[in-house]
Amino acid sequence: MRHAAALLLLLCLCGLQIHAHSRSGNSDEKFHEEIVVRPLAGDHVNTYFQFTTRWHYGARDNLFHTQLTPRVIAEILQTYDVKELHISLTQGLWRYESWGYPIVEATGGAEVWAWFSGANLTSSSVNSQWNKLANVFSGVLCASLNFVDNTNSIAPKHTFRPQFMDASSRTRHVRYASLPREIVCTENLTPWKKLLPCGSASGFASLLNSGHVHNTKYHSLSLKVRTLCAQPDNCVVELTQTANLVYDLKLLEQSSSRDFSLRRLFGMGLNGFCELADSSKIYVQRNEQGQRYQLVPSPLEEVSSTRGGFGSVYAVYDMQKLSELGDRLFNIAWLAPKGERRQPSTSAPPLYAHRYLLGAGQERGRIVTEVTNTHWEPLPVLLMELVPWYVHTYLHTLRIRSKTNGHGHRREQVLPFKLLHYAPGKQRELPTHLEIGFQLPPQSTASISIEVDYLLLKWLEYPPDANHGHYIGAAVISSQLPMGRNYTALPVEGHLFKHSFNATRPGYVLTLRTEALIVGLPTPDFSMPYNVICLACTVVALAFGPIHSVATKLIIVERNTTIPRNFLRKIWHKIKRRAGSKNEPTEQEEPEREHQRVADLNERNDDDDRTATDYDDACVQRASM
Amino acid sequence: MDLRCYKLLILGGAVRLYFSRTPLAGLISNRVEFATPLNSYKRMQEGVYLLQHGIDPYGGDLVHETPLLLRAMSTIFTSYPEFLPLLYILLDLSTAALLHLMSSNFVQQKLQQQRSELKNYAKDTGELQYTEDDKYDIAELVLIAYLFNPLTVMNCIGLTSTVFSNLILALLLYSLMKRQLLFCLVLLSFETVRSLYPAVLIAPLLLIFARRSICAGVSIFTLFVACCMAMAGANFLVMNSWNFLDGTLGFIFHFRDLQPNIGLFWYFFTEMFEHFRTMFLITFQLNATVLYLVPLAVKLRKEPLLLATVLIALMAVFRAYPSLGDVGFYLSLLPLWRRCWKYMSHGFVVFAFFLITLVMMGALWHLWIYAGSANANFYFGATLAFSTGQIFLITDLLFAHVKHEFCLYNGQKIIINGEEARILLE
Repeated sequence: MRHAAALLLLLCLCGLQIHAHSRSGNSDEKFHEEIVVRPLAGDHVNTYFQFTTRWHYGARDNLFHTQLTPRVIAEILQTYDVKELHISLTQGLWRYESWGYPIVEATGGAEVWAWFSGANLTSSSVNSQWNKLANVFSGVLCASLNFVDNTNSIAPKHTFRPQFMDASSRTRHVRYASLPREIVCTENLTPWKKLLPCGSASGFASLLNSGHVHNTKYHSLSLKVRTLCAQPDNCVVELTQTANLVYDLKLLEQSSSRDFSLRRLFGMGLNGFCELADSSKIYVQRNEQGQRYQLVPSPLEEVSSTRGGFGSVYAVYDMQKLSELGDRLFNIAWLAPKGERRQPSTSAPPLYAHRYLLGAGQERGRIVTEVTNTHWEPLPVLLMELVPWYVHTYLHTLRIRSKTNGHGHRREQVLPFKLLHYAPGKQRELPTHLEIGFQLPPQSTASISIEVDYLLLKWLEYPPDANHGHYIGAAVISSQLPMGRNYTALPVEGHLFKHSFNATRPGYVLTLRTEALIVGLPTPDFSMPYNVICLACTVVALAFGPIHSVATKLIIVERNTTIPRNFLRKIWHKIKRRAGSKNEPTEQEEPEREHQRVADLNERNDDDDRTATDYDDACVQRASM
Repeated sequence: MDLRCYKLLILGGAVRLYFSRTPLAGLISNRVEFATPLNSYKRMQEGVYLLQHGIDPYGGDLVHETPLLLRAMSTIFTSYPEFLPLLYILLDLSTAALLHLMSSNFVQQKLQQQRSELKNYAKDTGELQYTEDDKYDIAELVLIAYLFNPLTVMNCIGLTSTVFSNLILALLLYSLMKRQLLFCLVLLSFETVRSLYPAVLIAPLLLIFARRSICAGVSIFTLFVACCMAMAGANFLVMNSWNFLDGTLGFIFHFRDLQPNIGLFWYFFTEMFEHFRTMFLITFQLNATVLYLVPLAVKLRKEPLLLATVLIALMAVFRAYPSLGDVGFYLSLLPLWRRCWKYMSHGFVVFAFFLITLVMMGALWHLWIYAGSANANFYFGATLAFSTGQIFLITDLLFAHVKHEFCLYNGQKIIINGEEARILLE
């Protein structure tokens, strides 16, 4: 008993020490939690959670002793030579045209990409590291990432730029895969929350209850790990976990009013902040759709930022400052002015994309990706397609047609592509990998189309519910915007949301995901294997039998009259003959059949000295030919 | 060739030209019955395109044409695509002309053979013997059968590369008749490297050129293997990699693409248990190549051309990716055996089989793929029946030949004890 008490005391002390340590700021591990709330057009609200852990591990040999960073993450980095890893699990579709750009991009289903860099890494060893990595995270996140293998992974050439920093300039390898069929649910959220230092016990993560998270129109969990090394002995490992949710206010209770609050969105109020966090802040957008709302309680400070020529205003609730002041923030409410039905108009973002499938039937089709540029300048566009092996693509049918959207003259032209990378797919081995770059003229829509064939697979390769169809993952479109309209992503060197304030750069790298497609492949009848095998073999036997008898049997002649004309008698005759030949195989003399062996016909033809006199008086011929 | 034949050729060309300008051409080049993964026009285009953009066409799973042909066609495909139908029509017409020359040559040789053996023939067998008129009639029948067979016409307007195969086969048969050994070997090795199965045609070649001596046979066979290797080497020089071997021959042998076609393979290997796949693959490939080779070569050692016809026909039934173009080709060789027709008993059945199954195929394909109201079994049934019909035709031809030979020497009416007798195989 005394031992137990001592142990408990020790544990408490340790806990306190860690707590004090992390809050002091001297530690080499730091944790930040942030929420960004952005009201969107069409009565939608985007809430974005970001949990950042940074560990300045310096020149440590191994990363086994972690405090805030989950050990599984730190260890994997070293085991598999991973320098950067992105995993996202998403349900729903982000609507660029009305919602603008998300802070973190993700495609429906599961998406993974990773950068590898290490000594003696070859392409094939990266492939095996990649498979193992996917398997590990399949366990960590309870997702079907174990289905990621070489048949659905590619090595993007241009689309993904590394966001990590490696002190030595080794060769870098990237792998990308997406599983559009993956369904994201509670079983992914719970392990995801477990990676956080405070878990779901306290802090912002306690807001993420599966009942409410999975009722949203769009929800995306993601995980990003990268290492930043200025020198080989001065390294930081950074883990960013984000949850991006879009609520439809019409689906919440009290649909008549457009007011909402954190409590209504998440089903519960704020439960303080994570004690291990260095900062714990809530950002609320006050411009655009956010400007019509009145905030209760009103924020202590407001930050306005100008980025790429476009301004934005955010109200900031610093949980730690509030708690130092003695306040306890439980809820934030957004009150819309009464009676106002008109919403501020929204402008479409500079670049957005859609994708669809043309053609009927389960034989062939055409994948069309439409990219629209609403800007007044031409934009460079890079499109990456990963087409699974069960769909054949024909590169020679790839066309980029652009159509101007202006009110004036509409004109269509075929755009040349400036850059093309194509790796054809191979059945059951490799997916088709296509990357094309082109310049999209201002105020126009480019439709990139490519013809595809749908393959018939082996019967055991179809998933359950084969007629549901097969998925083709989203295309990834990347571009560089000259201005910051609708652009909210963090700058590449930043790790907190506040780093995006006033972060004006010469260009803003934008990555978009289109819709995933679903194609109906022709399906066989799954109940027929035995019948098919039997029938096909029967047809083979139909050929084999007669050819066998032509090649081996002898010609005989038989008296015509011995066979009765009547059908029944004919059968009787046959049976009698069969029985007769069986019962008396040694019977020498059959009255109706007289056999006489003659010389082989062919031999006789060859040698003229053997004349045909042999068979002058022959009644019956038996000859082998 | 006389004026009449030229007229027929022009008419055949006109028919092809007319149909190649109708929407039917596009439809046919996409139909699974004509365009298989091996011969489809679209895949050839893709191959040429990839080759010109410096991408290895055999790295993917779409192109199965040999590098030589891809390289040869690349200029026409990119610079003059509008003349492509014209080129294919010209190739098809030359196939027809070659078949015509070949058949008149064949009848000529038959006549010579008959003259030397005339005294061995039975008395009432005039109608079983080739006549002087046959030299023109049979050749013309072959010409008509090739030019106006809907299968070959559609094969030509669908721009499948079976047009090339047919041309090479016709050239091969022609040079067989002309006894041009080296030319035969080059053609045969080219076609073997392209599509594997024609390798079996070495048998009629050996029967013609190495009649009596095993030594000559062995040396011809060695020469053939050397030719095949040289052909593969030439292809290697185009690509500078051996990838194409797996892309063409490996692809045929392993039957990697399960796209439906008129053959027996596709549904069989779709529904096959993975455990037995290799065994059945080898069985089916043996069945398509060497299984019938030896017995038929022994049986038909007197008739190398009949052996070639039967082997080409069996190939068209049992190959991994058969198309109706192959069927059209061997059908046009049937008039050569006009003197056996008397003994072919399944003519009507086979005709009905062909007609009904070909019509049903189109309908059932639509029901399965587009309407969604039928399933794969329906189409499979039609292809199975079509194969059965073809097998009936081939075996019927073989039986007819055996009876014809017998009756030629023993007379058509064989009397036993004053009564007419029947001929049976036992």
